[in-house]
Amino acid sequence: MARELPRRTVVMIGGGMTSALAARALVAKGVDVLVLERGADRAHTAADEIPSQRDELRWALRHQNAQNIARETYTLRYAPSETALPARRLEAFIPGEGVGGAANHWNGQSWRWSEYDPVLRTHLRNRYGTKAIPTDLSVQDWGVTYAELERYHDLWERLFGVGGKAGNLQGKIQPGGNPFEAPRQNEFPQPPLEILESGVIFDGAAKQLGWKPFPLPAANSSRAYTNPDGMQLAQCQYCGHCERFICEANAKASPQVLLYPWLRQHKNFEVRTLAHVTGIDYDKAARRATAVRYLDLSSGEEVIQPADVVVLGAFVMTNTKLLLSSGIGAAYHPAVRTGVVGRNFCHQTMSSVSVFFKDRWINPFFAAGASQHVVDEWNNDNFDHAGLGFHGGAHIFSGVTNGRPIATRPLPPGTPRWGSAWKRANADWYAHAFTIVANGSCYPHPDNFLSLDPTYRDALGQPLLRMTFDWRDNELKMSRYITQKMADLAHATGATIVGPAWARKGPYDVRAYQTTHITGGTVMGADPATSVVSPHLQHWDAENLFVVGASVYPQNSGYNPTGPLGALALRLGDDLVSYVARPRQL
Amino acid sequence: MSETPADVEAPRRRFIKNIAGVAAVIPIQALATAPSAEAAASAPPASPSAGSAPGSVSVVPDGYQFFSAEEAAFVESAVSTMCPADELTPDGVACGLATYIDRQLAGGFGTGERLYMQGPWHAGKPEQGYQLPFDPAGFFRAGLAAAQAACQAANGKKFEQLTPPQRDVFLTALAQGKVTDHSVPLAQWFNELVFPLFEQACFADPVYGGNRDKVFWRMVGYPGLPAFHTVDVQNFRGKPFPGAQQPKSIQDFS
Repeated sequence: MARELPRRTVVMIGGGMTSALAARALVAKGVDVLVLERGADRAHTAADEIPSQRDELRWALRHQNAQNIARETYTLRYAPSETALPARRLEAFIPGEGVGGAANHWNGQSWRWSEYDPVLRTHLRNRYGTKAIPTDLSVQDWGVTYAELERYHDLWERLFGVGGKAGNLQGKIQPGGNPFEAPRQNEFPQPPLEILESGVIFDGAAKQLGWKPFPLPAANSSRAYTNPDGMQLAQCQYCGHCERFICEANAKASPQVLLYPWLRQHKNFEVRTLAHVTGIDYDKAARRATAVRYLDLSSGEEVIQPADVVVLGAFVMTNTKLLLSSGIGAAYHPAVRTGVVGRNFCHQTMSSVSVFFKDRWINPFFAAGASQHVVDEWNNDNFDHAGLGFHGGAHIFSGVTNGRPIATRPLPPGTPRWGSAWKRANADWYAHAFTIVANGSCYPHPDNFLSLDPTYRDALGQPLLRMTFDWRDNELKMSRYITQKMADLAHATGATIVGPAWARKGPYDVRAYQTTHITGGTVMGADPATSVVSPHLQHWDAENLFVVGASVYPQNSGYNPTGPLGALALRLGDDLVSYVARPRQL
Repeated sequence: MSETPADVEAPRRRFIKNIAGVAAVIPIQALATAPSAEAAASAPPASPSAGSAPGSVSVVPDGYQFFSAEEAAFVESAVSTMCPADELTPDGVACGLATYIDRQLAGGFGTGERLYMQGPWHAGKPEQGYQLPFDPAGFFRAGLAAAQAACQAANGKKFEQLTPPQRDVFLTALAQGKVTDHSVPLAQWFNELVFPLFEQACFADPVYGGNRDKVFWRMVGYPGLPAFHTVDVQNFRGKPFPGAQQPKSIQDFS
């Protein structure tokens, strides 16, 4: 028998960054907020202390900060006609678990997206004409513009102490910044991180090609910093343990450092850990979510938590899975292209090339997760796509985020895989090489979507989420084009050896890490026929249910997704304050 | 991974032919110096090339939690073939590589911690990843037995009885999918289980039993802990970092 608890005003599912940011305005207004998180609190554990934090095997390879895939994974097939198989290991992307979620183990790369990203379909149609958008390219507008989100971007950057150099200040292009940047009202709250040797080399090569390199906006605090909530960040140590790790120095802006400690100072806020949400009770006639059900992982007891307002703020996979399993909204059907839940699932299209310098010391172990330099000439629609046969692009960057030696040892082509010659090559090149990376967009395709798997189950007996996904023609063509640009840059570095530059090829490989930036499944938009939530992130079929997370992106950009997620979540916080005071369709 | 379901069921005959062709290029001198079966069977589990190279050291055996004596002999031969003693490091056994693999297989990794183990099981595309019902410990054991049987069939000797160059040829054939077994996908076994364990054994923190005395970190110049580089990043940008010569590991801060 499930135990029913007293009603709460706002119940949020998932204790990551978006829930915390959305809770911030509510908590400040005195509204009662409960966050349900399936994982534990990792603060002051081996995950964030010296020396145990500096353990590549434990955290980076064995994924001890991530969702436990033995309990819940996803299945993959390449086409709707196939039977899916489970991804039995966690490799292609890394969902988080525990208070803070995936934004605890992120690298800190803190982009705003292109000004046209939220209106991508309109932008492409205006620039290239309707015929230049193939039927199978189901890109769509968000229903909210960058201009409306700008002040939330600004707030998020101040909360997270983001360091960088403005490229477009109130419409004026600034030297040293990104000339393609969406216009900002204010300079970054902190200066950029120190440039690395790889960045010096990268900048030189980019300038030779006439491109404009700049420091990547970083949430690895470049100075000691106090944010508007009075929360503090220490200065970054360039330790090379960001992505897949929880910062031990409180220098990487993370929910665990900045958001949850502040929220917990308030009596009207509670985060309940080891609460694994299994469903949302839905009154279809009333079009309302009535309660959240979870399993208490400390007792095994099933609990019903009634709520006035429910916010679904978990990772992409969980957000989509809970809507499907709770029967809220129409599931997407690719054959007839109707239904919305699970639609427009995307990942990111990555490629890379390694460069080797006999006489230069790269010292890859001096690095922060976002201490790279970047060019943006070939990203998204920053260049003319007329006649190219694809849309989208990538930012290209000097990919030194760490020198952790199990996984980060570029070797020249032709190196044997073991033996004395292999050792010699490691000794010769470890400190003298780095990888240039293209971080590419991924646009939706009607056959790339999420649904419930009919066969495989999680540890609680619930269906796994099923990915139907492959690299489609648009992404394959884009990757070929961008990878050549990246190779041009690699050759311009004057490297002793340039490794092979392979464009992304199918089939999608669950064994290869791309990024953790999967998107879509519960996308936002102004039209209920093609979106799950409104531009205010309000569910079209349940007025008191809101969804926030990368699952609301209708397509994935050639940037990391965290910045606009921060903006969307902060805006949701203001919308929720308004909704709680006067419930209605926003 | 290059294995496909068709490869998995490829006839043993083809494999023997392949190996026979490869083995034919082994220098006679190397064959002549191979230890006899009895000698290898009675030899203590020590580095095969101990005493023959400048980097070799005497090793006190750690003792194994997982391996049988026969499995240990195979693994020790493999890691000291893949990491021979030379001017850069002692041989693989002396570097703790067999110990690392043993400890991983005996622990949570070996028993399938963070591996989704529910059925049903079907073969998929290689890109759909590992799809066997074995946990890593079981897969390691089954693959080792199959590889040993294939080696015996092709060479009339166990793997550890081959000369180091012959072992290298055999491992290369394994990695390239040229050694097949009727039930165990040996290329996948080698490339997705054995080889990653070997690399981890070399470069993981010594607290796990490999990379003894931080020998591989010293070899490449990875400074290890504590990695407080706020000042270093400026002072040693583009310059050799002295700390890379004397790496520190978890044990040094415990």
